[in-house]
Amino acid sequence: MIEIHNLTKIYKLNKKQMQESKTKNPMKTAVDDLSLTADYGEIYGLLGPNGAGKTTTLRCLATLIKPTKGEIYVGGHEVQKNSEAVRQSIGFLTSDINLDPQFSVDYMFDFFGRLHKVSEEQLTNRKEVLFEYFGIEDFAHKPIKELSTGMKQKAAIAVSLVHNPDIVVFDEPTNGLDIVTARDVTDYLKKLRDEGKLVIISTHIMSEAEKLCDRIGLVIDGKKIAEGTLRELLAATGTDNLEDAFFEFYKSRKGEV
Amino acid sequence: MNGMATILKKELARIFKDKKMVFSVFLLPVLVMVGIMVLIGNLVDNMTDDIESHTPVVYVQNQPDTFRTFLEAGDYSYDIYSITSDAERNEAEDKILDGTADLLIEFPDHFDDLITGYQIGDTVPQIKTYYNPSEDYSYEAYGVISGQTLEVYRQMLLSSRVGDLDQIAVFTVNSDNEDMVIQDDDKASGKTLGMMLPYFITILLFAGAMGIGTDMVAGEKERGTMASLLMTPIKRSSIALGKVFALMTLSGLSSIISVVAMVLCMPLMASSMGADGSSLSLSLNLSQILMMGALLLAIAFLYSTIIALISVFAKTTKEASSYVMPVYMLVLVIGLMTMYQSGSPADNMYFIPIYNTALALKGIFSQDVTMLQFAASLGVTVAVSAVLIGVIVKAFESEKVMSA
Repeated sequence: MIEIHNLTKIYKLNKKQMQESKTKNPMKTAVDDLSLTADYGEIYGLLGPNGAGKTTTLRCLATLIKPTKGEIYVGGHEVQKNSEAVRQSIGFLTSDINLDPQFSVDYMFDFFGRLHKVSEEQLTNRKEVLFEYFGIEDFAHKPIKELSTGMKQKAAIAVSLVHNPDIVVFDEPTNGLDIVTARDVTDYLKKLRDEGKLVIISTHIMSEAEKLCDRIGLVIDGKKIAEGTLRELLAATGTDNLEDAFFEFYKSRKGEV
Repeated sequence: MNGMATILKKELARIFKDKKMVFSVFLLPVLVMVGIMVLIGNLVDNMTDDIESHTPVVYVQNQPDTFRTFLEAGDYSYDIYSITSDAERNEAEDKILDGTADLLIEFPDHFDDLITGYQIGDTVPQIKTYYNPSEDYSYEAYGVISGQTLEVYRQMLLSSRVGDLDQIAVFTVNSDNEDMVIQDDDKASGKTLGMMLPYFITILLFAGAMGIGTDMVAGEKERGTMASLLMTPIKRSSIALGKVFALMTLSGLSSIISVVAMVLCMPLMASSMGADGSSLSLSLNLSQILMMGALLLAIAFLYSTIIALISVFAKTTKEASSYVMPVYMLVLVIGLMTMYQSGSPADNMYFIPIYNTALALKGIFSQDVTMLQFAASLGVTVAVSAVLIGVIVKAFESEKVMSA
């Protein structure tokens, strides 16, 4: 289970970042008092425009960055106090995390498997299952730098799942992928959900969230402005698709501000 | 511990699985170093041969008959031109200036008469020579003719005046003493090598670690591969240590290969420079080898931590390289300081990191280092490295540093 309580993340900008953001305020609130819970056997989607705070939330959850305020529990472990146990229990994927381009997928899979303390026997089994599902066998021994974007994404997903984690945290998992590869990825996420795992993703693609997520949290300017199943969100706004529902929430949020 | 070993193995595999990297990290520095030394030696040799084979062009003003006869009788191959007027003198000076003539010898008027008519109390006649030190041929002609030929001419004239020269020689120094040098050949050879090797070892170790280290840490951040490591359940200290030990292994190996190649090629490089290569052979006893090994490991550890520490604060490999370069310059200067240091350094000098290792290595080769000095160098180097490792681990745990 994932529990996020009143998460706030404030970054201190340097002069260059302040110039780029055209602001005189050196403090930037990326996530503002955000809370959510997600349980095993569901796919939870964080939906919002670019810069809404989705990635920052997931990075806090994955222990890559520290919350300014608030508490996060992953599988019962508090992320700051027990970060190693958190990292052992999740599979994390984000667009700015890459695999070493000089090595093959096969080498990287074994390497990360060993770092996750996966036994050699389990490693062989996991490799067989994941490489077959994503069709990696064909390019498993090529250096990653020679692979296409889709192949790299498949490889990154396989490597992030090497230790068969109970909680899967994917940031924009289909970003930049062709339609076939994107379908492979979303189908696999559904499979993981059906196996009883907790999947939490971030996305800005409405159709993906509609089809994939059991529950959706809408995030704008670092705040969660709505949460529920697709049906609940549509009912609350009187709309018939997620995009319209999102804009209703967006307008009311901007009206408040 | 397992995580650290896994990272270490991966970092070593990054180099050893790539033939180009193996060549550039281990072989290229050796080839370049030996190649440059041999090339310089050959160029110097060729230049020396060229100068020596050149026939000096010499202008002589007021040339006395005795000098003309002396040159004709001796085996001197100079192109001699007599000067008989001021205009010719000026022309000769212009030629020396533009490099087409090498030397001007000016005898006093009636030189032979002054010599034969010399009385005690008379002014001793002076021969003046003029040359251009900017021109190699002229500089060489000045050295040979002023220093040697005119000295032989002087002795010839002196001999005609006093008869037997031994009457005024009084004594000679080491004219037939072939055993005048009393030294331990091993120690002497070690001293020569001890002057050069610590310098080369320190700079080669650093240079070997520099490129790999910046890529291993800052490169991983730049490529986005560091974050995937940070997402694994192993401790940040294991990641840092795995990388530092890998860097230490690679730079140590690279420097050992370079030093061994250098020692083996030393006679070749020395002989190409015209020196006696056999005097540079190296023989170390077991305790020297052990001391040297321990110091090399320690300094490889220190350099690796310095480079890793600098790289961890950089966003890109390029940025890390620019930060590391001033430290490399410092290492070069420290190496040079030990290369040209004479006498025994004070014991407290062995507590200065980097400098102490170069001093101790020099002392090991020349068999002058004491156990206290060796222990101080080793202890300080390891202690500073350990402190730096602590700082690196802290940096790895810092969100600001790692997500920069």
